[in-house]
Formats: sequence, structure tokens, C-alpha cells
Amino acid sequence: VKGSRPPRDNRSAFLLDVHRRGIPGAARMRRYEDGDEVDLVIVGAGAGGGTLAQRLARKGWRIVILESGPFWDPDRDWVSDEAGQHKLYWTAPRVIGGGDPVELGKNNSGHGVGGSMIHYAGYAPRFHPSDFATKTRDGVGADWPVSYEELRPHYERVERELPVAGQDWPWGDPHAYPHAAHPISGAAEQARRGALAAGVDMRIGPVAIPNGTFGNRPHCIYRGFCLQGCKVNAKASPFVTHLPDAIEHGVEVRADSHAVRIGFAGGRCTGVTYMRDGRERFQRAAAVCVSGYSIESPRLLLNSDGLANGADQVGRYLMVQGATQVAARFPDALRQYKGPPPEISSEQFYETDESRGFARGFSIQTVGPLPIDWAQHVLADGHWGHALREYMRDYNHWTTLGLLCELLPLAENRVSLAEEKDAHGMPVARFDYTQCDNDRANIAYGTKVLERIWEAAGAQDTLTIGRYAHLVGGCRMGFSPEDSVVDRDHRAWGIPNLFVCDGSVMPTQGAANPALTIMALASRLAERLSAGR
Amino acid sequence: MFRDAGHLPKLRDTRPDPTQLPRQRRGTTPQMHGRYPDYDVLENARHWDETTREVVLARVNEVPPVRFFAPEEAEVLRLFLDVALAQDAEPRVPVLEMVDARLFAGETDGYRYDDMPEDGETWRRLARQLRADGFDRLADREEYVRALHDGEHAWEGLDAERAWSVVMRYAVSAFYSHPWAWNEIGFGGPAYPRGYMRMGVGDHRGREPHEGAEAFERDPVQDS
Repeated sequence: VKGSRPPRDNRSAFLLDVHRRGIPGAARMRRYEDGDEVDLVIVGAGAGGGTLAQRLARKGWRIVILESGPFWDPDRDWVSDEAGQHKLYWTAPRVIGGGDPVELGKNNSGHGVGGSMIHYAGYAPRFHPSDFATKTRDGVGADWPVSYEELRPHYERVERELPVAGQDWPWGDPHAYPHAAHPISGAAEQARRGALAAGVDMRIGPVAIPNGTFGNRPHCIYRGFCLQGCKVNAKASPFVTHLPDAIEHGVEVRADSHAVRIGFAGGRCTGVTYMRDGRERFQRAAAVCVSGYSIESPRLLLNSDGLANGADQVGRYLMVQGATQVAARFPDALRQYKGPPPEISSEQFYETDESRGFARGFSIQTVGPLPIDWAQHVLADGHWGHALREYMRDYNHWTTLGLLCELLPLAENRVSLAEEKDAHGMPVARFDYTQCDNDRANIAYGTKVLERIWEAAGAQDTLTIGRYAHLVGGCRMGFSPEDSVVDRDHRAWGIPNLFVCDGSVMPTQGAANPALTIMALASRLAERLSAGR
Repeated sequence: MFRDAGHLPKLRDTRPDPTQLPRQRRGTTPQMHGRYPDYDVLENARHWDETTREVVLARVNEVPPVRFFAPEEAEVLRLFLDVALAQDAEPRVPVLEMVDARLFAGETDGYRYDDMPEDGETWRRLARQLRADGFDRLADREEYVRALHDGEHAWEGLDAERAWSVVMRYAVSAFYSHPWAWNEIGFGGPAYPRGYMRMGVGDHRGREPHEGAEAFERDPVQDS
């Protein structure tokens, strides 16, 4: 029965307080000494690290998570405001280059306990079975050493834990969601009408926001600030879905602790060197798991004398998705700031269709830009001065659809070390990115589909912004040390106690938002690790 | 007139003319024009959580001092921002001060193009270029900014498109974080912890009582 099944082996939602947003258990969290050799030290308290810690803690592992950013108390630290939440993003210096550089900042990496899922939109689609074998099926990208079937039980389990709300899903491996779809806003309704008229099927969801009773997490209040951190505790992130249970089972989440180097001696990792309160410290550990996401994970390995980089694979095959957005204008007010930005989506164009002239495909999703994001959109369409102000005044009449185009993994798209140093004296990451012809064709085709939808809806005017979203790859999993950084169990080739568990291990990125897959991979890894002990 | 889209820049031959807009009757908008003449988001402030209220009200009540830019840089950049954001009359959102505060505190977006300097340096180079070109004495500053946007002007050796995007990202982030700008565009503001109930299309199904009604025409008596 929808909405009534509590998740198995995870009491996070019940460990929260209905009237406060912080994690109550944090006050009496277990602490470990630096010199105490814990079973596992995880770098990064996000989707990968948080989920892995929760699972293993329940199997008795003694775990410390080192998190560079703060341990949030949302009541005290967060504001319901676009500019005021800049602190959620990873804004330490980075250099971008290549033919089509990827702007970072607020768009991708997170900073603080909960990671980038604190500011992700909340879309939680699964990957399609085809994503795990694009090389074999479509002759592009790479095959995964893990199959969809292996991941399916973990998808199902994580969907119950978040939980995910949405209509029955017809695409990929057809499945249902634990919670029923949320009501949609006028802005999304307008998009849905246009899509249907253009022959594009759209479904409501999948969104990681409970729709109904779920432990002590309040119901969504539809205020529309998902990308600014959910002050309600309605939107899922490890902060509310896995870390409360992890802490209850003895995990220490050590915030404000920035990992700078992995300790290594005699062919094994010995722990992690990190900075806290301006002092360098060393946490001893029997095993190390890097979960810093697609830029910081490779950077940490490269800054650790090139650990796991024997075949020059670290940092390579970094991917983003082509995320062009087209907004449309209608006579009646739509107030697109209301409701969660993730409302409806289509995966009709997800798979390869040879008649389109390129391999793989894209998804279509609603987004709901708040004023500053809307201004960036107008700016990108080429307007400033009086024209900018005029389009901004018209804000409430617009609704926006976005693409997620699967861009292919290329060896030259990579993280390397820049000459520039950060506040701790460590070289910062440099991220070079260039699209290939298939990528350009995909984005161009997808943009035309969005235009067709708005035309069918009777839009009076459109505005377009070309952009990227999401990061995956950089420490990919593969079949041999020559083609990858880690094996199918996330273990660095040749180093028995070093693991990578985050979006960076993904060999391809599909046309789906990565959060759910990162969590499902972590859930699978936990199962493999605890079975092997 | 606002139900059809003839006022939108891509659909009209003439430049948008704010003097043809309704005048603000309640609260403040930049230049006192807008589409929601009786809407003041600040009247909802008592319904916001305290942490949010403090941050948002400080934006209105406390204009930060200029500390990053030198006085001569601030002077010419202020003129530039007035044109780039069409703030040609009082009351103005103090964008220059807000940008200065961010740069002074080092609150950047972190990333930097490999062929660009730090964001603060990009701003300083813009100031130098504007001063060298006598921007403050130009009769047609709008034409100068157009040329800058279109990449026809030198920008102290910087990639014009990237430099424009760096500068304008800061400018619009400041301007549209200000409640006066929210009044102008009819944005609902923080909405926490109250949230929303009416999510439909149009004024009847899609507007809460505390959100501003849109004026679809000028009022011939009050707006002339």
C-alpha cells in the first residue's frame, strides 16, 4: 500500500524531531580519537558516504566521516532565501578550461553535512538498464562492471528510504513508487498540456519528497526553495535519510574537517590527514573510502602522491549533462516559484534512436527558477538594461522546461592539479571540458523538442539558456587497472583497503539525475563489504 | 496590455519604456514602477522565520560601506551598473555596495576560467577601462554598454563575453536578492514557514491573499 511501508533497517525519519530541523542525536554522537584505528574513515558526508556509513554502522563497523563543511542546524544556519544560501555550495577555488568549460559554483558540488543533495532539486529517477552497457548496445561510452539487475534491489530499498513520490514509471525498467505523486503547480500543468499536444508523454515525479506520513518528517509546504536547502525536512538528503540512523549506530560525523592527503605505507592506506581548526591532524583507519564527488575525490587522490593513479586514469572521463532550459510565456500568471521545482518529467527520448542521428538521448524535466536564477536565464538570452528589467517584471507569466542530455565520457575531460594553491596550501583542481559531436547533436535536438512543446502549448515568447548540470565520473569503475580507477567493488586497483564511493565511480551518466544511483551504489557496496568481513 | 505579450523586448520594435508602467502605490520598487502596484512583500515579514527575516531585512535597512573598491572605481562602476540594470532614477537598489560587500568578504562562486583573473580583478579592470574611456562624461552611456555587451569594446585584454558574464552575474544576484525588486516582479519572497496553497493558473486559482494582484493596465488617473 502506498505510503504505509516504513523502510527496512533505517530509522532516520523517526530519529528526527518534528519541531526542530537539526539531527537530535548529534549532541550525543560517539567520538573517536585520531590515534584510534577505526574500521573505516570516509571522506565526505554526502549521498555516497552517508549511505555507506549508515549501512555499515548497522553491521558494527566503527566509522568516522570527515566532512570539509559545517554540521548544519537548518533552523539556525539556513534562510529561506536565494542569495542567503550561498554557503551550501563548494566555493573553494577551482580553475575551469577546455573548449566548453563547465561553470561550477552553485550548480554542482555541495559543502557541509549532507553534501550536494542539500541543494539538489529532488529528482530521483533510476538509470535505465541500457545505461550499464552503452558500449555494447550503442557503440559509445563504456560498459559498467555492475548490471542494472544487481542494482535493482538497492534502487527499491533507497526509494523507500527517501521516499520517492511519483506516478507509475513506464520508462527503462517499469516500476512503481512508494508514495503517490504530489499535486502539480499551474506552471507544470501548462508544460504538461504542451507536451501532450506535441506528442511527448510526461509523468509526475519522481521526486524524493514524501507525500503523506513519514516518521517525523513534516509534509512539503510547496514553498519552492528545494535548491536552497529544505528548511522543512521534507526533501530527502542524507542529512535526514541516512545520517540520523548512522549517528545512532555509532558513526562520528566530524565536520569542519578538510581532508588533504591519504596516508599510505607498505601498499596499504593508513588513514587520512586532515585540517581542523587550522591544525593538521591524522585519523588512523583500517580502510579509507573517498566520497568527495567527481572533482574533490580525484583531487584528493592526485594530492596523495597520485594514489591509485598508476595508469593515469584518476580524474578522467568526468561528465556533465547538457542542461539547456527553455522558458515560455503565457497570458495567465503561473508563478513558477511555487511548488518544488521538480514536478514532471519525460524519459521518452532517453534511449538511442538512430533516426535522430546521434547515440543515446535525454530527459525533459520542469524546473522552477527563483528570481536570481531567472535573471541568469534572461541574461543568457542576451538581455540587459531595460530589456532585462522588462523580462524580469514578466516573471510570473513564465514556466520553464529543462533538458538532461547524456554527454559521453571522454578521456580528455578531466580533473588535474592546477598550480594555484588553496587555503591549506594544496593544489586546487583544474577541470577541462570539451564536447564531442555527438554531445552537440544531442543538445541541439533536445532543444528543438523543448521549442516544439512550447509551440504546441501556444507560448507567446521563449527564452533560452545553455548550461550544464550534475557531475559524474573522474574515478570510474571498470574491468581492468588500465581502463579505470576502481573495480566493481569500488576498490582501487592494487590497494586492498582504499575505496571510492560517490558519483565519480560512474562510467556513464545516463540522462537521469545521479543522486538515487549514487545512493544505490553505496547501498550495494555496503552489502558487498559486510559480506566479505 | 500585459496579457498579450506585445510589451516584451523580442516582440516589440521600440525600447521598453518604464514610464508606461503602473506607479507603485504601496511599498518600494526600484524607480517606483512595477506590475504589482499594491504589493509590498515586506508586509509579510512577520510571517517569516526569524533567521530569514534578519537576513532579508538587513538587505533593506543596512547598506554596507564600500570597502573593496577605491572611491574612483566605485564612482564609475556605479554609473555602469545604473545603465546595465536600468536604474535611471531613485529609489535605487544599492547594487554597487552589495557587490562590493561580496568581493570584500571573498564570497565568490569559487571557479575561475583559466584565461580570466580573479573575479575582483575583472571588476577592477572594468573600472579602469571605463575611466580610460571617460564613461562618466559620455552622452550616450547606453550605447557604450551595448558595445561592451556585444564584444565591440576592449575590456583590458579580457575575453569580453566571459568578463560580461562575471560582472553581470554579480550584478543581477545582488539586484534580484533585494525585496524592492521582488515587489516589482511580484515574487512571493521567503514563504517559510507559511508555504503556499494556491498553486494553479491565473489570479483566482494561483494567488494567495497575501500575494500581490497584478495590474494588467495602467491606471489612467493614478499613473499619469
